[in-house]
Amino acid sequence: MCGICGRTDDPAGRAVAAMNAAMIHRGPDDEGVHTDRDHGLSIGARRLSVIDVAGGHQPLANEDGTIWATLNGEIYNHPRLQQMLRERGHRLATGTDTEVLVHLYEEYGAEMVHALEGMFSFAIWDSREAELLLARDRFGEKPLFYSAGGGQLAFASELTALVAGAAVGDELDPLAVDDYFVYGYLPGERSILTGAQQLPPGHLLGWRPGREPELRSYWQPPVPVAAGGESTGDLVRELRRLLEDSVRSRLIADVPLGVFLSGGVDSTLIAALAAAESSAPIKTFTVGYDVGEVSEAEQARITAAEIGSEHHELTLPLAEVAARVPQVLSALDQPLADQSLLAFHAIAEFARDDVTVAVGGEGADELFGGYPRYRWLARAESLGRGLPRPLAAAGARALERALPEGRTARLADVIEPRDSIERQLDWVAGERLGVRAQLYGPRLRGFRPPAALAAELAASAPGVESTAGRFMLLDQRHWLPGDVLAKADRAGMLVSLEVRTPYLDYRLAEFAATVAPALHTGGKGKALLRRLLDELLPETSLRRPKTAFRVPVADWLRGPLAASMRDQVESGCACDEGWIDRAAASALLEEHVRGERDRSEALWPLLAFGLWLDRFRGRDVD
Amino acid sequence: MSTEARKLRVLLVTPDFPPEKGGIQILLGRIVENAPGLDVRVLALGYEGDAEFDRDLGAEVRRVANSAMSRPLAVLGLNARSLAEAARFRPDAILSGHVVASIGALAVRRALRIPLVQYVHADEFRVRAGLTGRVVRAADTTIAVSRYTREMTLAAGAAAERIRVILPGVDLPDAFRIERGSPPTLLTVATMLFRYKGHDTMARAMPLIRAKVPGARWVVVGDGPFRPAVESAVTAYRIGDAVNLLGRVSDEERNRWLDRANVFCMPSRVPAAGVGGEGFGSAYQEAGARGMPAIGGNVAGARDAVANGETGLLVNPADHLAVAGAAVELLADPKRAEEMGAAARRRAEGNSWPKVAARVEEVLREAAGRRKAA
Repeated sequence: MCGICGRTDDPAGRAVAAMNAAMIHRGPDDEGVHTDRDHGLSIGARRLSVIDVAGGHQPLANEDGTIWATLNGEIYNHPRLQQMLRERGHRLATGTDTEVLVHLYEEYGAEMVHALEGMFSFAIWDSREAELLLARDRFGEKPLFYSAGGGQLAFASELTALVAGAAVGDELDPLAVDDYFVYGYLPGERSILTGAQQLPPGHLLGWRPGREPELRSYWQPPVPVAAGGESTGDLVRELRRLLEDSVRSRLIADVPLGVFLSGGVDSTLIAALAAAESSAPIKTFTVGYDVGEVSEAEQARITAAEIGSEHHELTLPLAEVAARVPQVLSALDQPLADQSLLAFHAIAEFARDDVTVAVGGEGADELFGGYPRYRWLARAESLGRGLPRPLAAAGARALERALPEGRTARLADVIEPRDSIERQLDWVAGERLGVRAQLYGPRLRGFRPPAALAAELAASAPGVESTAGRFMLLDQRHWLPGDVLAKADRAGMLVSLEVRTPYLDYRLAEFAATVAPALHTGGKGKALLRRLLDELLPETSLRRPKTAFRVPVADWLRGPLAASMRDQVESGCACDEGWIDRAAASALLEEHVRGERDRSEALWPLLAFGLWLDRFRGRDVD
Repeated sequence: MSTEARKLRVLLVTPDFPPEKGGIQILLGRIVENAPGLDVRVLALGYEGDAEFDRDLGAEVRRVANSAMSRPLAVLGLNARSLAEAARFRPDAILSGHVVASIGALAVRRALRIPLVQYVHADEFRVRAGLTGRVVRAADTTIAVSRYTREMTLAAGAAAERIRVILPGVDLPDAFRIERGSPPTLLTVATMLFRYKGHDTMARAMPLIRAKVPGARWVVVGDGPFRPAVESAVTAYRIGDAVNLLGRVSDEERNRWLDRANVFCMPSRVPAAGVGGEGFGSAYQEAGARGMPAIGGNVAGARDAVANGETGLLVNPADHLAVAGAAVELLADPKRAEEMGAAARRRAEGNSWPKVAARVEEVLREAAGRRKAA
């Protein structure tokens, strides 16, 4: 993990030095700036040393100093690439993965990105052709923001660095704020700031002096199809081969490495494979909470004993997690309302005492059909097709009246006749969609209606026949980079820990897309992963399933976080600047605190946004 | 009269036989057509257009009713009928074209006390490991289509002295029109697209190939269960404008592509089960017969179908960098590709169908002689 940055109009490198300084947490070990005075361009890097600790100073050049590169992330197949490049006559001066970028660029130009296996965002400056290339990995594991205008370009791993380098102002983009409030994260290309964009996953951006940058996609998660012709046993064997390869390549590091073990299928499988690959006992890390019925820590302990890992377990009082909220949420470069960010941050901080790199199970649910929502939405669609429309609508209304409010009420949605994308939007956004009309302040008037949001979503996953497959693809392209991977990167970044994700190997993703979505989502979901776990640890998978842990946000907003929430409503920048209507937010909060109605789905993103904005504006949030 | 002097009577029992398309079908059909020393009766499944094909074959063919929906039942029927057919025909030997026909063939062997010669290809060791193991251990002789298949036969418990390797043959066109050149074209031909054929690796390699050989194209002939996955990969890699997925085409059209493309490229790998996959890979040899060099995986049957560095290049089929490197090596050096193509043609001439049929005949006679002596 590192932070990279650059400006095409920074002949003295001062702006880039300021950008570097804004990202020290991403790379505490080293920093560097390269300035091309002839072209007035500077690129920079902050480095967390993981590969070739001594020789990996960045930015880094080819043999004659004409091509420079700066990399955030890891290129897992760099040993293979080094061997190939040496066979073709390249002279490599270091053992770093960054160096392969410049030589690969000499070989293949921008298409070199297809030779890379890893998580990365990088910049390559070719002084011979006066061309700057930016690239982001296939799934969006590593972030990259940019700002273009007036024939110039600036980029950075974090949005705040772009601000520090004076590449963008501090104006928020109303559309992005609306996106954030609907989804809880920033999907797609928009960033929270006007004038700055996220380089989408699987994309390249080319820039030449005086021209507008050219953005193009080089890869996207494949549309799920049912390839057929193979037994489930064949598929499980293929999965095993690919997952073993992926885990093996992600265990390469010159620093201590561990595995996050939650006790669920995804991380247990990774830990089991990592243990099998490793000659010494691996380190595993679990965080449990001081609440009785949650079984994750216990399950993780059993698994750790079974695979013989050196297990580290931390039990956190929930009150302490609540106390972290202002610190964690405000430290992000753009707001993120995923509640599990807190747990992720806690385990990352805990693991950082022992390791610099940790391997996690992110991406398994999206690629292998783990979320129950896929099954529900597929069933809803087939049920909707089977019932006459008026009958389905009447049934939905009756259920809605009969069921208690909250998530259970969404069962009514199962039979209501409607477009499946709208159903997905409703499922994800919940009551936030509806309360926007009252909650939004004057700066957010004219927000998009659900149909417009649904149309944008639908465009993210076109051409998929199966309903479950459509939502899996949508999550891979939308939710995964916008939420899951942003959370893993930022939670790790806050404590200078690199998080690696074996499920997000592109060959594994391509394989998963050839398996019928109905097979993936069958049973309890992730059918292939469960089968493989059965083979590897038959005892473990027989035990009771993981109990999903949800942070008790609703209680916190009535208890330890009520004051913080009130502060937001009374004097936070979100209300002061007119993004949120003070009176409406206050009414919502009081309704929640009095226990009349659970408003946490709307209040939590509001709190996360407010804390972030306050810190961004320089207001004390602690 | 001894079997040496007269034609050897052979009952060929096989589910796969022309006019159905496929490597096994062609192999068995050509052996029947090119073995003048054999009096063959064929018991096979029925396919569309079989009456016309059988009329022209020059051997008697009995068909068992078949349809895509009831193929397992038809194979059962094939096994059931083999004993009655043998009783009528009184063969000197029985040749089983695929292990699924071996239950009936083994019964014939016992009942008539004639030798069973079993053909093995590759994927049966993965898909029907138990049955295949039993058959190769019981057969008088097993014909393996490559050294790879021989290794699997040995691993399944067959005695080494009862295994013969006979590489499949190839049609040698009298004349073919080479129009190779622009745009530089890679060609993959597989009657059935399966995962192990390596189309996914090809999709990954294409952007790298095009970076070094601008305008390079990839033409894919064939159809099957993996085709939607290939289409999805082509979209994922944004290479739709560089790829022609032709589906199933006529022999004439396939041959036109074999004459026009520059390099045959099919990086087949061994399936994750560790067995099966490409028994030989007749498609490599068919390309060679038309003077085209081939790139294959350095595993399984392709090691016999392609002479590495002579008729083509063998690379790690899971490594798209290696596949791209090999493709660029040949596309960027037409002279070398041409020399390899010429070598591939010479090598193919050593495996003409009459030569291959004679090798099979020799094995059958040897088995019959051994059984008689016993």
